[in-house]
Amino acid sequence: MDQMSDTTPATASAGHFAVQEDHVIKTEGLSKHFNTVKALDQIDISISKGEFVSIMGPSGSGKTTLLNILSCLDVPTAGRYLLDGTNVSDMSEADRAVVRREKIGLVFQQFHLIPYLSALENVMLAQHYHSIADAGEAQAILESVGLGGRASHLPSQLSGGEQQRVCVARALVNEPAIIFADEPTGNLDEENEALIIDLFKRLNKDGRTIALVTHNPEIGAMADRTIRLRHGHLES
Amino acid sequence: MAANKKTKLGFGLLMLLKSLAVSKGRVLVAIASIMVGATVVTALTSLYFDVSEKMSHELRAYGANFFLGPSDQANPPHIAEADYQAVLSSIDADRLTGASPFLYGIVKLKLGDAVLAGVNFKGLQKIYPNWQLEGSWINVDFDDRNAMIGRTLADTMELDVGSSFDLIGRDSGKQITLRVKGIIETGEAQDNQILVNLPVARALLDRPDTIDLAMLSIVTTGKGAEDLATKINQAHPQLEAKPIRKIAQSDGKILDKIQGFMALVAGIILIITSLCVNAILSAMVVERNREIGLQKALGADDGAIIKQFVTETLLIALIGVMLGLVLGFGVAQILGQTVFNAWVSVRFIVIPLTLGVSLIAAMIAAIIPIRRAVRILPALVLKGE
Repeated sequence: MDQMSDTTPATASAGHFAVQEDHVIKTEGLSKHFNTVKALDQIDISISKGEFVSIMGPSGSGKTTLLNILSCLDVPTAGRYLLDGTNVSDMSEADRAVVRREKIGLVFQQFHLIPYLSALENVMLAQHYHSIADAGEAQAILESVGLGGRASHLPSQLSGGEQQRVCVARALVNEPAIIFADEPTGNLDEENEALIIDLFKRLNKDGRTIALVTHNPEIGAMADRTIRLRHGHLES
Repeated sequence: MAANKKTKLGFGLLMLLKSLAVSKGRVLVAIASIMVGATVVTALTSLYFDVSEKMSHELRAYGANFFLGPSDQANPPHIAEADYQAVLSSIDADRLTGASPFLYGIVKLKLGDAVLAGVNFKGLQKIYPNWQLEGSWINVDFDDRNAMIGRTLADTMELDVGSSFDLIGRDSGKQITLRVKGIIETGEAQDNQILVNLPVARALLDRPDTIDLAMLSIVTTGKGAEDLATKINQAHPQLEAKPIRKIAQSDGKILDKIQGFMALVAGIILIITSLCVNAILSAMVVERNREIGLQKALGADDGAIIKQFVTETLLIALIGVMLGLVLGFGVAQILGQTVFNAWVSVRFIVIPLTLGVSLIAAMIAAIIPIRRAVRILPALVLKGE
């Protein structure tokens, strides 16, 4: 965790890489190459605290690759990435695991709930790796997403929308600096899609920072700002 | 802090039990594999510790393994009866399988001279239970009318079981008529001798208080026979006690081979167990690819993943070993009864030994699956489709 403290939030060590106080995310020259394929090339973006940003682009444009790097699931080939004032681009896997549990909430298209754990236990799992599993807190979070009465249900006993709300509750439970969502409505019907979008809007209104990858222009348009990618480049 | 740890421990345990319950088919096979390994190790280890004792008892059927004679200091070269009895009483009764004195002398028969041996037939039967016999053994010490005779001598003298013959002490001139109760075939010098109870020989040969030598069959392990010989030689300088090397060495070689074979079998079984457990744990890791990826995405570091799989493996192994210990002691008893016709002792050392060896085998089996689990890339396995 040494690397987490070597950069102060207000100003990065490089003079040209000054970070504003309210930037949760700041990248400069962020690139990801898979052999000769440039999945991301020289991406400079910033996301401010409390901002709701959508990341859009056609298939293969690098949306998921960018989200993986921003959520510390992957590392860039080149460039720098400051998350909540900390340079995480060249961290070890162990340090990135700490960043993931301390600062990041993840919402997946496939929900990725553990099938043999109840809704409550799935939320407690995130607490378990963060600090301690607290059933009371987990229950409160489930209630905040409207699933207080479904806490003891297994994922297989929940609808797609309910499963996604458990996934959102799991992402929220550790009070992360930012929530990353990868096509969170991709597997939902219209009704549940609306529920989830409303939930994200409400979370954002409560001050949460959200970065959401989507194909859907309507959902993209609901965000404060849209980052558009094409062939690994930022669209101007 | 203690409460926090308890909660963390509690949730970790809940996860562990639930994840094992989901893979219960594989878990049961893994437990069964370790159980089989632990059973074999327990059974063979129990036998290993008992086999020296048990085999030594078994090998006593192949003849005397201890010789007692007069030393160079003895003049005349005889053993005093009192010394012989003192030696016998100094040997643990449980370890002394059989003993017989031998008092030799020349007697005259109708067709010439022959060697007469005064013995203790009860002891002789225990030392040489495998002698081939026609007729029957002399079973009482005071029988002074019967003799046993070696096959070669019986053929020369044309004697059968039930025949009577006269013999005269060459030096004493005393005469006696004996009846052949049994004809023995030993492959040794006794095939040319006449065997009678020691008091009969004493009377015929006029040797009331001495014997020439004694053969003993003693249950010994390791260097027990040599140690006993040293002890006797120090206590009775007029005697020469020594293990019969041919028999003692055979005992040692056979025991070494049997113990080596058991160690080999246990080793092979442990390797097979380890391979089975490895295959099962590998399959469990593949099955839980996404779950592990998710755990890592939620912030589980390599240590947490390793801890989870090590704990699962240890739990599976412990259950397997516990069952294996119980079964193994049962199998050891069956083997003990079948092979040695005796119960095998339950030794405490077998428990930590089996536990240690089985756990090591299980943990070795877990190395590759755990490395696979640690190498899982969450970004790859959680890709949305």
